[in-house]
Amino acid sequence: MAKWFGDVLVELARQDPRICGVSCDCWGFLGALAAAFPERAVEIGIAEQNLIGVAAGLAARGKTPFAIGMNPFVTMRCFEQIRTDVGYGCRNVKVVGGYGGGIGYAGWGCTHHAMEEMALMRLVPTMTVVMPADAYETEMATRAAATTEGPFYISLSGATMAFMPPEARRTFHVGKAVTLREGSDVTIVAVGPTLPDAMTAAEILTRKGVSARVLNMHTVKPADREAILAAARQTRLIVTIEEHTVIGGLGGAVGEVLAEAGAGTPLKRLGLQDVFACMVGRYEDVRERFGISANAVVEAVMRQA
Amino acid sequence: MARDERIAELEEKARRIRAHVVRIAGMSDCHTGGSLSIADMLAGLYFHTLRVDPGLPGWEGRDYFILSKGHCVPALDAALAMRGFFPEDALTTHLQLDSIISGHACARVTPGIDVSTGSLGHGLSIGVGLALGVRMDGAANRVFVMIGDGELQEGSNWEAAMAGAHHKLEGLVAIVDRNMYQTGPTEEMMALEPLADKWRAFGWATRVIDGHDMAQIVETLDALPFEKGRPSAIVSRTEKGHGVSMSIHQHMNRFDEAQTATMLAELGQGGGEGGRN
Ligand SMILES: Cc1ncc(C[n+]2csc(CCOP(=O)(O)OP(=O)(O)O)c2C)c(N)n1
Repeated sequence: MAKWFGDVLVELARQDPRICGVSCDCWGFLGALAAAFPERAVEIGIAEQNLIGVAAGLAARGKTPFAIGMNPFVTMRCFEQIRTDVGYGCRNVKVVGGYGGGIGYAGWGCTHHAMEEMALMRLVPTMTVVMPADAYETEMATRAAATTEGPFYISLSGATMAFMPPEARRTFHVGKAVTLREGSDVTIVAVGPTLPDAMTAAEILTRKGVSARVLNMHTVKPADREAILAAARQTRLIVTIEEHTVIGGLGGAVGEVLAEAGAGTPLKRLGLQDVFACMVGRYEDVRERFGISANAVVEAVMRQA
Repeated sequence: MARDERIAELEEKARRIRAHVVRIAGMSDCHTGGSLSIADMLAGLYFHTLRVDPGLPGWEGRDYFILSKGHCVPALDAALAMRGFFPEDALTTHLQLDSIISGHACARVTPGIDVSTGSLGHGLSIGVGLALGVRMDGAANRVFVMIGDGELQEGSNWEAAMAGAHHKLEGLVAIVDRNMYQTGPTEEMMALEPLADKWRAFGWATRVIDGHDMAQIVETLDALPFEKGRPSAIVSRTEKGHGVSMSIHQHMNRFDEAQTATMLAELGQGGGEGGRN
């Protein structure tokens, strides 16, 4: 991810002199930029609050800074700087979570779980929130961030390199969900590292005679209302799955759309059920125990069927 | 004479801590560099200074130790196991399902750990709170907080440093593991020098020591608190990865079997389980 992102950033920086990068001990993402434009890449040290404040200052001077830290820390530690200096300040800052999206750190401890990154970033007025699924979406999201005026959060989870089927790669529009698989009985909505679970679950469900649609909701804010409501009309159940608390992230966003439209289609939100995923174990162990897996999707669907 | 023996004994403990860190890196990714740089200080703390009761980790009279640089928990786990908080065998289950040995310091799973850490820049504030609480109770527990030098770039540390001195927390001790590296060279990424002067300017009684010289470590810990009415800071000058050639200046390592054996041999701790005592 660091390399794909870094290479695109340099290309964008060549086209747009306003683009610059600020790192908080995530220099790997800025190496390429620093080589091409040494004065436009800044290391700030392990200091997320300062990272965002400095980025806001650069934006106040007309720059377009990409501010890079680790997902849990670059969203939590400096939330107020993001909310006030970037959001309230209407500053053109692109916050990038470079490592440790979702519960990628698994048994390494809950301090490193970005289980509220989407919820927090959604809370900031005007903030766009994108979680790319693979190299292609990383590139497209980075381009979109550079060319869209306003606060932007990109979560590079790193968990699903080269995942997306080629035909799905041709389109990427901020705010538009990608249908990875058509289906008429249930819809599984996933984002980033849970997309493979959704695809596997859809296959298992097909064998059980259930036709499952899979939506890649790479933009969590603004959520794709149209795609969600179409799913609500055309299928009988919607299941969201995310490496995140079910409060305020993908499941929350989908639920808000459904409720406000009076859709009435049942929604099952898979993810952390208002708990810390506190245990030691491998990534797969932690996901399985906390119900973030293809099996969990299949179970949720079969229980409703 | 007795003192020399004591120092030699503590040096041996430090070697054992390092050997455990190497074995952990032989099983899974491990933050070797910063774990190895604190091995000597941890040996001094857990086998000479800290008043703790392994049979009763929650004993009210205990001294508190917070590993604010929580990614270096392999060294802390080793010290805790060797001190008797849990069997040393448990260390071989690092990151395995439902193990008590986590990748960052986790108070919920590991006996003897009071504060979960891993997100840098939290420990010293919690230490200030613990020290204030101890004072409210009229008690004498001491509070030790181990902080990384890179970690000191987080502003929260300096808020805590200000508070510790303002409230004259004599029982509070900050130990900075000054190994000159974070993921890269600290002075190049965001310079901290003059570091000891910063602590002094914040009102802490400060000493700079060689963090790999056990005699100095013991002498320094024995001299606490350094001054009446002030918190104490120890800038412990160390080498990231000290004692293990493949870990010098490395943030993380994962050793294969042959490398593990070679690194253990370097430590004079080769052979099977590395002995038990
Ligand atoms: C708030 C926060 N930001 C970033 C990180 C990622 N991180 C983990 S260890 C580390 C370097 C720490 O350097 P230092 O404190 O000097 O520790 P040492 O070199 O002794 O391992 C970084 C940036 C983190 N754990 N927490």
